[in-house]
Amino acid sequence: MFAYIIRRIFWSILILLILSLITFTLMHMIPGGPFDREKKLPSEIIANLEAYYNLDEPFWKQYLNYLGGILHFDLGPSFTSRSRTVNDIIRQQAPISAQLGLFAFFIAVALGIPLGILAALKQNTAIDYTCMWLAILGVSLPNMALGPFLMWIFGLKLGWLPIARWGGISHMILPAITLGTAYSAIIARLTRASMLQVIREDYIRTARAKGLSERVVMLHHALKNALIPVTTVLGPIFAIIITGSMIVEQIFAIPGIGKYFVTSVMNRDYPVIMGITLFFGALIVIANLVVDITYGFLDPRIRYE
Amino acid sequence: MKKGTVVLGIITLMCISILALPVGAKTVLRWNLGTEPPTLDPALATDTTSVFVDEQLFLGLTDFNDETMEVIPELAKDWLASDNGLVWTFIMRDDVKWTDGKPVTAYDVEYGVKRTLNPATASDYAYVLYVIKGAQDYNTGQVEDASVVGVKAVGDYIVRFELNHAAGYFPSIASMWIARPQPKEAIEKWGDKWTEPENIVTNGHYMLKEWVHDDYLVMVKNPDCYEADKVQIDEIYAVMIEEQSTALALYEGGELNALREVPLEDMDRLKADPVLSKELSIAPRLCTYYYGFNNEKFPFDDPLVRKAFASAIDRETLIATVLKGEQKPATTFSCPGIFGWVDPAEEIGHPFNVEKARDFLAQAGYPGGEGFPVVTLMFNTSESHRKIAQVIQLMWQQVLQIKVNLANQEWKVYLKTCVEDAPQIYRLGWCADYPDANNWLNDVFNSKSESNYANFSNPEYDKLVEEAARESDPAKRKGMYQKAERILCDTDAGIAPIYWYTWVTLTKPNVKRTYAPMGGEHVKDWKILPG
Repeated sequence: MFAYIIRRIFWSILILLILSLITFTLMHMIPGGPFDREKKLPSEIIANLEAYYNLDEPFWKQYLNYLGGILHFDLGPSFTSRSRTVNDIIRQQAPISAQLGLFAFFIAVALGIPLGILAALKQNTAIDYTCMWLAILGVSLPNMALGPFLMWIFGLKLGWLPIARWGGISHMILPAITLGTAYSAIIARLTRASMLQVIREDYIRTARAKGLSERVVMLHHALKNALIPVTTVLGPIFAIIITGSMIVEQIFAIPGIGKYFVTSVMNRDYPVIMGITLFFGALIVIANLVVDITYGFLDPRIRYE
Repeated sequence: MKKGTVVLGIITLMCISILALPVGAKTVLRWNLGTEPPTLDPALATDTTSVFVDEQLFLGLTDFNDETMEVIPELAKDWLASDNGLVWTFIMRDDVKWTDGKPVTAYDVEYGVKRTLNPATASDYAYVLYVIKGAQDYNTGQVEDASVVGVKAVGDYIVRFELNHAAGYFPSIASMWIARPQPKEAIEKWGDKWTEPENIVTNGHYMLKEWVHDDYLVMVKNPDCYEADKVQIDEIYAVMIEEQSTALALYEGGELNALREVPLEDMDRLKADPVLSKELSIAPRLCTYYYGFNNEKFPFDDPLVRKAFASAIDRETLIATVLKGEQKPATTFSCPGIFGWVDPAEEIGHPFNVEKARDFLAQAGYPGGEGFPVVTLMFNTSESHRKIAQVIQLMWQQVLQIKVNLANQEWKVYLKTCVEDAPQIYRLGWCADYPDANNWLNDVFNSKSESNYANFSNPEYDKLVEEAARESDPAKRKGMYQKAERILCDTDAGIAPIYWYTWVTLTKPNVKRTYAPMGGEHVKDWKILPG
């Protein structure tokens, strides 16, 4: 198990290195540079800016400089926010997206899994149809429609919750529901499908034949196995959800990293694009590793060698 | 027990919310900046958000009156030009202090100008100061010695500028943030981080108290400012909300007391609402929206074709049906409020005229649009630009009987396309850096300008705008700009101006504010009345 983890960490570093090279190359290839403005800057001014940020050096040297910086955990300056470094930006804004994401993830799981189980247990009944209708609604409702709708009802009209912006727990509720709903729907459908498959297995019939109560059969024998495929998607969902959502952060004016990432691509803010990509990449690699290790606990047949 | 915990929780929450209520009679302006200011460093600011904050934090030698746009004294009590117009001397007040207690002197102005021009500062707008002698050589690294730059403190409170050529607009340049005094000690001590609230040293009517990046910043009244007794608003709480509909919801919920921009899709509702319609205000803004023709690309290498396209745009219908913000139809480039703009009564340019448009096209050899090739209109990806393009596409098709394709590109890709090889027709806007036609006609459409994506070229035009820059007689300059506009927008029709922008704002009735056509309003002049 230990050797497995070490090997996986080694591979993860290699993956991140490849990710950095691909991102670095792609972002320099796309047309338009960080200093292209509506009011065209004179070429001598652009030369000053490029010298300031070392963009006048050859491509390979810029990349090596960048890797050198990473070894010292220095992700470089931001072209668009002069008084902050990329480290500052990630440190200040990623925790906000993570808090919101964690809350949304909790909502997604807490709604999705029970709905899925309920639908599976009551297959082809009104309850099943209602649960799955809700799930389809959840998947189909885009954040950019649900967010403003919730904001208008609960923020502006009823005044129960803050309209937007970031602050205490109360500020998190509407954006977390907006963000979590679509994922809860995916989780519900997956849980239902997986449960339906598992409850037809022989070992479930055996458990019932042994005279175990339906409750024990479902909770101890069926659910645990049914959750394996669900766990597989929970890892990436977790990583995606805590790295922030551009749309939800934009609608609710939340100073998170998701919105910043998209803006940095539009601004061609190279160090910010690189820094956030690698940061997200590392999170996804870690989330997948954790999922793989979790399999071992859920299913004793899975062994690591 | 559990019930008890819940009740206790509720009581605690209520106490916290009561404590959070404002205490005393502090007046707070709650304002939306619209985005995070990229920088608060006056040497580096280029965008309206940064400039708005810098206007509150830093004083200039001169300033603009928000509404009349007249150059007025600020740090400088008085200024005078030498007879040949090459040397400008500014006499400064001696009662202004930095927030660290030191006096603001002419040496700080000299340091500020030289720091902006230092290539190591990498300031975007350094080129605006190239009118100062030696500035370009120093900024481009041809000379490393800053003393060649024609700015010098000749005493604690007298600063002198030497220019390359006479420039009647120099007092406007002296008001700009890039020419403001800068706090040398703080900058040298903190480097790029000198603008963070814990390090910053300022000299304006307000001081930076807090800056939570991408979320909000707080400025409080500077009690030591020489005009402190005239400043009524104690605090500016400025949020950074990009989504206009969210900002509008916060305004309607009472969390903001003024909004600088209103979403287009809400205009009809706002105009119909009995309360909000009274809070809605539409004021001029120094920006022009235009379609440029690539003057070197067939068929737009023929002025008659350009004239036909310019005359076939029904600007008034476009404004009434799509824009809805009472923008003004434009047939010339510099907008009202700019020194040297041309009144539409002069009838320069090509307003909507179906017969003339068809006639121009026929003269160009395409009667009734026959034989005219399919042409492309390109804009940067945005819903509002698309709507405008679709309506104009339809107008061209109906009036000229020709076919126009629409194409769009992501902003930075689009800019690159415009620079390298502008499409047959392209969309752009231009906003004033300072309210003088030099910043428009010379900076954009001089054949040597790097912003001249239209490849517009007319030697007579170049001569006019270059001479106007050097001319000090305002009446003569006006005449020259009028002639230049006639060439650019009428006889050569290098571009088709479409409309002059407006600021569509919402302000609570108890806020008495100014509307600055260039943005960068001075909150020191605003008042919030009780209620």
